[in-house]
Amino acid sequence: MTAVNSLIAVIGTLLVALIVSVWLPGIERKFVHARIQQRVGPPISSAGIMAPLKFFFKQTINPNSPMPKLYNALPLISLLSVIFILLFLMPQLYALAALTSIIAIVGLLKIEEVIYMFMGSLSKSIMSLKMPFPDIVKGAKHPNTTRTFMEELSSLRAFRLIAFGSFPLYIALFIPVALSKSIYLSGIVNYQQIHGPILFTMAGVLGAIVFFIGYMILLNEYPFVILKTKADVIEGPLMEYAAKYRAYVYITRGFLMFVLASLFTTLFLGIPPNLFSWNILVTIAVALIFPILMAIMSAFSPIFTNKQFYPVVAGVSIIGILALVVSFL
Amino acid sequence: MNENNKITEKNVIETEVAMGPVHSAAIEPYRVRLFVEDEMVKDAEITVGINHRGIERIMEGLPVEKANSLTEKICGICSNSHIWNSVLVAEKAIGIDVPERAQYIRVIMEELERLHSHLLYLAHGNEVLGHETFAMRIFYIRETVMELLRMIGGNRVQYGASIIGGVRPRCELDAMRIQKISEGMDIIEEKILDFADRFVSDPMIMSRITGVGVLTRKQAIELAASGPTLRSTGVETDLRTEMEAYEPFEFNVITQDDGDVKSNLLMRVLEIPEAINIIRQAIKHLPDGKITNRSWDMQDAPITKSYIEVPRGKLYHSYALEDGRVRNSIVRTPSIANIGAMQYAAVGHHITDAQLAIVQCDPCFTCTDRAIQIIKI
Repeated sequence: MTAVNSLIAVIGTLLVALIVSVWLPGIERKFVHARIQQRVGPPISSAGIMAPLKFFFKQTINPNSPMPKLYNALPLISLLSVIFILLFLMPQLYALAALTSIIAIVGLLKIEEVIYMFMGSLSKSIMSLKMPFPDIVKGAKHPNTTRTFMEELSSLRAFRLIAFGSFPLYIALFIPVALSKSIYLSGIVNYQQIHGPILFTMAGVLGAIVFFIGYMILLNEYPFVILKTKADVIEGPLMEYAAKYRAYVYITRGFLMFVLASLFTTLFLGIPPNLFSWNILVTIAVALIFPILMAIMSAFSPIFTNKQFYPVVAGVSIIGILALVVSFL
Repeated sequence: MNENNKITEKNVIETEVAMGPVHSAAIEPYRVRLFVEDEMVKDAEITVGINHRGIERIMEGLPVEKANSLTEKICGICSNSHIWNSVLVAEKAIGIDVPERAQYIRVIMEELERLHSHLLYLAHGNEVLGHETFAMRIFYIRETVMELLRMIGGNRVQYGASIIGGVRPRCELDAMRIQKISEGMDIIEEKILDFADRFVSDPMIMSRITGVGVLTRKQAIELAASGPTLRSTGVETDLRTEMEAYEPFEFNVITQDDGDVKSNLLMRVLEIPEAINIIRQAIKHLPDGKITNRSWDMQDAPITKSYIEVPRGKLYHSYALEDGRVRNSIVRTPSIANIGAMQYAAVGHHITDAQLAIVQCDPCFTCTDRAIQIIKI
């Protein structure tokens, strides 16, 4: 009976997460971006529900990818990695030990990031496809250059995001570890049930700020979205994925918003996502608050270039390290 | 295959990022080749001519009134500038006096067009910066101008205000229209000043645009840049100071010193209050009288030239008249020189800033493409 209850809790929590997550992009766009920009904005269901639904029934077109099967599988793998993070956050699965540790969570987040990079590098948009003849038109300045792709450029930037931009988030993840002296989620949750939420400590407050900046970077949101020099153009995954594959990309983004909010409530409030607890309302509330705060920040920011991005990330990382030092003290 | 090409392989840069001719990053069809090393732009090549319609060829042999009307279709942003300059060619060639009231209305239309063109530029510039909120809010301000243009000309894009000898009766300004224009100017001035304050006090915006896409004064002069692009490098030149229609009005020629994206954006921000100032003077001192001089006879004329200052710079129109029909028409828009200059402005910057450096000159590619001279058919 306990096993059945656990199964119902896991499936129910997943369903709640899916239902909430599909509304998050719409809330962000309709109630925050559009209001700040003094326009009507799209319907609330458009970004997270209607757009993916529409894309599921569209005909797929395939770009000139060197590895088409892997390329098409990447959005689904990305979605699965995010779903697994949520699963391992649920208290019913804490028996899986190593898989429910911070190390596993970091690994799954890294998978999501790496896939984002490959989504760009494997797409090869026709918009920057090399012409089948050499460029020897009259006046051409450099006729023999090797042509690169916008998506490759995007991919390189995604690599920088992984290598550098995700520092703040991962530093923030290890602040609860330092305080609770446990890498296991169960240990972190138990610590907070005894000592109160980590968020209400000095290290926790600093960690929450760093976590939030990391959350924005991981979701490629303005102003940290160095993948986009001009909005929606250079970002590889959104460049060439069509039909159902694009729908997976959209669903993954909404789901990642919810999962990161769940990660925050688990690590900083000691509230793991669990359908059988009223505390799931706290998780849902955080899942709503984070996109709203993110949308407010992004609505008033231009896109950072490298020269602005690196100092900001370095500064936030230093705050994270400071929080780690405070937590050890 | 490049054996006969004069460019030696020694100078070939290894990596090229190509965009266009059709690309979702480009609002108009053009081709940009950025030659990069470690994401730094070492050289740039911009190719225009993809959307060429040969409008001068179409004008060849048309009755001059129809040809003038056709010039308005050259550009969707500075349509009034084209028809005004084209009409000026005929008026100069035949020697037609234009009523003073018509001159004032023409200036009002041109300055309204300058307002909406500059606001469009600011919105697009912010969009390229990735600042959607500023872009949306400027489009919101621009709506006031668009509605005023629609009220006067009956259309938001092509107003057909100027005709040979004056302005179209549809564009006559009565008391109600003057009141509306006056109210519109108050709204725009208040909002643009508020925007300017917020724009220059935003440290993130300023760090993003300062020192980016620099065009030196020497380069700008050598490359024949014109209009705000030239003035942003510190050269105080504005054809409006020499134009007969602008003689009754007092206004300042705005200049900036740095020739970068910031200077170009601020040029437009600061030119907006000047345009509002001219419009206010025009509606305050609008003379009475007729708006069209119809007492003229068509006559043959040799090639006659006319230059006017339009929102992007110096616009040139010329043609000859033969039996009331247009011959040897040539149109040269300011963008063609300004776009060429941007090839230099983009060099030396990170590839992220290249698009921003190129659009800082407010390029109008289709306007330029349509204006290419067909030498041989």
